[in-house]
Amino acid sequence: MHRILLLFWRFLGSINLTIGLCLLLTADLVWGYFSLNRRTPLFTPLNDMGLIPWMQTYGSHNLAATGWFFLLLILLALLAGNTFVCTTNRIVQLLAAGDGGKGAAHRKRLALKLAPHIMHYGLIVILAGYLASYLCTQVLTGRTLVPGVPLSLPGTSGQVTLLAFEPEYYRGERLAFWRNEVIAAQARLLLDDGITQQEALLSCTRPVRFQGYSLHLRDFAPKSLRGMKMKTRVDLYVRKDPGVGLYLAGIALFTLGLALYIYEWITHREATTE
Amino acid sequence: MAITTHSLFLLAGALYGLALLTALAPDRRGRGPWAGMFLASGLAVNLAVVAWRYHQAWPMLPMHLGAVALPFCLGLLVPFAAGKAETYMALTVRRILLAQIVLLVGAALCFPKDFYLPFLKSRTLLAHGFLWFGLAGKGCFAVSAAWALAALPLFRHAIDNRQAAVAAMHRCQRWAALGFALWTLSMFAGELWSYLGWGTPVVWEDPALTLTMAAWFFYAGLLHLHLTRLWSLKSRVLYASLGGLVLLSLTCVPDFGPFRAPF
Repeated sequence: MHRILLLFWRFLGSINLTIGLCLLLTADLVWGYFSLNRRTPLFTPLNDMGLIPWMQTYGSHNLAATGWFFLLLILLALLAGNTFVCTTNRIVQLLAAGDGGKGAAHRKRLALKLAPHIMHYGLIVILAGYLASYLCTQVLTGRTLVPGVPLSLPGTSGQVTLLAFEPEYYRGERLAFWRNEVIAAQARLLLDDGITQQEALLSCTRPVRFQGYSLHLRDFAPKSLRGMKMKTRVDLYVRKDPGVGLYLAGIALFTLGLALYIYEWITHREATTE
Repeated sequence: MAITTHSLFLLAGALYGLALLTALAPDRRGRGPWAGMFLASGLAVNLAVVAWRYHQAWPMLPMHLGAVALPFCLGLLVPFAAGKAETYMALTVRRILLAQIVLLVGAALCFPKDFYLPFLKSRTLLAHGFLWFGLAGKGCFAVSAAWALAALPLFRHAIDNRQAAVAAMHRCQRWAALGFALWTLSMFAGELWSYLGWGTPVVWEDPALTLTMAAWFFYAGLLHLHLTRLWSLKSRVLYASLGGLVLLSLTCVPDFGPFRAPF
């Protein structure tokens, strides 16, 4: 049994498996492009429904268009396993080989040698974050704010009220198609947690975090000074996503590894080449 | 003829074409300083097109700018891709890159996709970072593929040229690594932008994201090839050259629209 496990561990950590998986993922994603092109409405509900309900409905009933996505999940799971085993093996080897060294220079060298492995772990954390995001996100669809009417956030005592919608209209000449249209949408919100109240600004790329939820601007009205007068409203994406922290941490980890790798490349390898 | 981004881009294409024709001249005296001058003029006109498109959209992101900005990025990389050396390999790399630029400009002129208006959610530095890191990364991938392509003929005389092929593959790997780093930064900028704008790491409305990920995995694979003995030098060169070109062409597809006669 132990031998079988060892063989399996070795197979899972094989660099040839890594390359094979990378090639398969490339081919699968190219297939994905042609499947996704002009069929995006099949995939957009994925962000609102989460992975499992989507797989049971849109996914399983349109396999010709979604098959690549199921294969992608399998390949990514294998790649995560492969990356974990491979990089863990190398780190164990590195630490074992560097046991004798001491001092700041040794620690710096070791940190630089660990750079690719930091990236590998970063990738695993990003993938785990995506999985958590698509499995566990609570999405409140169809939430709209109108001035003065509070929106309650389920499971909390929090309420959000639209205080004012403060659009900036384009008055210049340069963007002809944008004249008198909203060029920057900004909503002033009142966040009430039952005890305290605070104001927050929401805009197209500036979400508001409150009581574990994140509020993102989906749409708004009015959009223009011309045409039909629309009543003020702000449509929201309201999400409680436990994966965000994880994939942002993964991105930070990967970037750190990348920075160390580039630093090593510039300082050490270039010096060696010269 | 009125001066438009289209007519300026036609002029840039003509200048790039002249730079390629001059670079194809067999001897150094024939080439003279002309290739560099045509390339610099083409870059200046191309920059004007990019600046104009930005002027029409700033502070938002000009849509599908990649088709006109990628030749500019590649043109900027030409002097660095092979250095100042006049070796056969360096000349070949320069010629391949110029040919790629001319092909890209031709495709962008015949299949323009400049009719989309910018959108409000692209009014963030992350969107611009996503575009420009991606373009710089793609440029580096193209240089990497050019080095690998230049090394392909060396395998006809297997033993004599092995050292040259190893050196070319070394350069190819370095450019691929640089491109991979930039491509990764572009993807991260895109993910952060996607989170801030839509609340999710992936926006499924844009199929191009699959090709971006495909290129990332392809080059992740390339950067691991030297760790295994299963892939000979020749197969690595084939992977980086032909595979690289196919994938780069695919990543350009979303920036091209329906056919329109360029004249």
